[in-house]
Amino acid sequence: MKKNLHLSDFTNLASSSSIPKYYGEALVALAKENPRVVALTGDLAPATESDLFREAFPSRFFASGIAEANMIGLAAGMARGGDIPFVHSFSVFLTRRAYDQIAMQLAYPQLNVKLAGFLPGLTTLLGVSHQAIDDLALMRVLPNLTIIEPSSGKQTAAAVRAAAKIEGPVYLRLHKDKTVISNAEVEQNLEVGKGQLLLDGDDAIIFASGYMVAEALVAADLLSKSGIKVSVANMHTLKPFDTNFVMQHTTRTGVVVTAENHSVIGGLGSAVAEVLAEDPSSASIKFKRIGIADTFAEGGTTNYLFNKYGLSASHISDAVLKLLNVGS
Amino acid sequence: MIARNGQGYLQQGLGAADLFTYLYFAEALIDPLNPNWAERDRIFLSTAHNSAVFHATLAERGFFEHSRLETYTQDGSELEINVSERLGPVVEATCGSLGQALSVASGLAQSAKRQKRAFRNYVILGDGELQEGQVWEAAMYAASNQLDNLCLIVDLNHLQVEGHTETVISMEPIDKKFQSFGWAVKVIDGHDFNALREGFEYARSNSNVPTVIIAETTVGKGIPFLENLMSHNMVLPADVADQCLTYLKSDK
Repeated sequence: MKKNLHLSDFTNLASSSSIPKYYGEALVALAKENPRVVALTGDLAPATESDLFREAFPSRFFASGIAEANMIGLAAGMARGGDIPFVHSFSVFLTRRAYDQIAMQLAYPQLNVKLAGFLPGLTTLLGVSHQAIDDLALMRVLPNLTIIEPSSGKQTAAAVRAAAKIEGPVYLRLHKDKTVISNAEVEQNLEVGKGQLLLDGDDAIIFASGYMVAEALVAADLLSKSGIKVSVANMHTLKPFDTNFVMQHTTRTGVVVTAENHSVIGGLGSAVAEVLAEDPSSASIKFKRIGIADTFAEGGTTNYLFNKYGLSASHISDAVLKLLNVGS
Repeated sequence: MIARNGQGYLQQGLGAADLFTYLYFAEALIDPLNPNWAERDRIFLSTAHNSAVFHATLAERGFFEHSRLETYTQDGSELEINVSERLGPVVEATCGSLGQALSVASGLAQSAKRQKRAFRNYVILGDGELQEGQVWEAAMYAASNQLDNLCLIVDLNHLQVEGHTETVISMEPIDKKFQSFGWAVKVIDGHDFNALREGFEYARSNSNVPTVIIAETTVGKGIPFLENLMSHNMVLPADVADQCLTYLKSDK
């Protein structure tokens, strides 16, 4: 990784044009290579981009109807028959409505099933019923599961390829976003279980995941205007978690902020806190979690909700300033 | 195996013993010498707590030594009171959380059809378990996808934890429910081997529809003082266990 990268190396503003179907295209590409790949959906093929798969491989596409618990069982049976099922729904329905089924029929027997969940956190107008604010916490506590949340739409293809290489259950937390991190090295690579350092600064480190990686990069830009140089890391794999990477950069900077589009309980912030709390060398570390406070939210645009619930770039930069005892 | 500590869902096991016997000895294509045979018929035990009769059947069928039954429910044993795939092959899924096996079997049946494989998929499900909504999600899927390689056996023993099923949640008419879901239905006496044979032959003869065999069974079957005694997880006192064994041996 080259040093002294600038924010503009990573982000460009979204156009208003439609969002590319990074996931759907990656899945079709994978299925062309591997005839064992099949797909299931719970009446959400267009929203999960699995309609592309249905068009390309109709005989390998199975509609469970609006029945998530059964869909997980079907996937388990197919995996036991030698298929590699990719299961599609919104994150909130996959993880809450079929939790016991995921635990007993996928995680316990370590079956080769990939869960593709969309609409993470506060990225939907559809309101509290559709907002997955606890999915990472729910999935993280299950043994045997790998959890991957790519940092951008364009990293999704790498996430799909990485998930396919794992012989076991994987939860993919996917979002369609317009803001892309345009650094090719970041987008095209995703080494499971390894943190990715995007920006290198010594004053603090922001560990971010998913949609919040872009917010963290904007926060870093805001901070740089005050002469504060922060590191930003993309923690695309929540499990297995890169504890060595966390300690290495924590030790180096001494000031740690986590940023996640999820409850502050049970997700990335908790994962980092657990690492720090068990490491004796971290006693003097300053630490703050940015995420959804212990609350349900509401329907709204992502920008509105991120501002209201404390997930915007300025909330991240304010947290860094506060830890550094600099007035904001 | 039950007499040692009195536990093992004896009532349900006795009730389902004839059904297990027919399925494992006469119906399913399975090979005790090659339990991992890829093209074996699959039997899913959705009522995973009905484990005494399950383990005893497997031992009798030759999947493992009878001596292993002595470890049943002992700490560290793979023969758990809820059947787990820790036991190894022939446990096709771990199903103690009720209502899940029909979904898994439907997925495997779907996979077999797509891959043009001939093995059949059987699920043993308790009638109380029909209260789980997921069973009906799977029932819709299986009929909608014409999974004729799927055969569900409902062990209709009218027993659930809180008592007689009809006093807890009324589920009758079960046959008409499945018919309306698009299944082929056969109601039989689960203690009559001829009826069991007819039921399974009927299931194999059906095309483009899944089949449910509703097998009427009597809990505690074979031991007069236990028959129809509605006890879900009875702990058998040692003297009663001895009486049972004496009775069963004399019956032989």
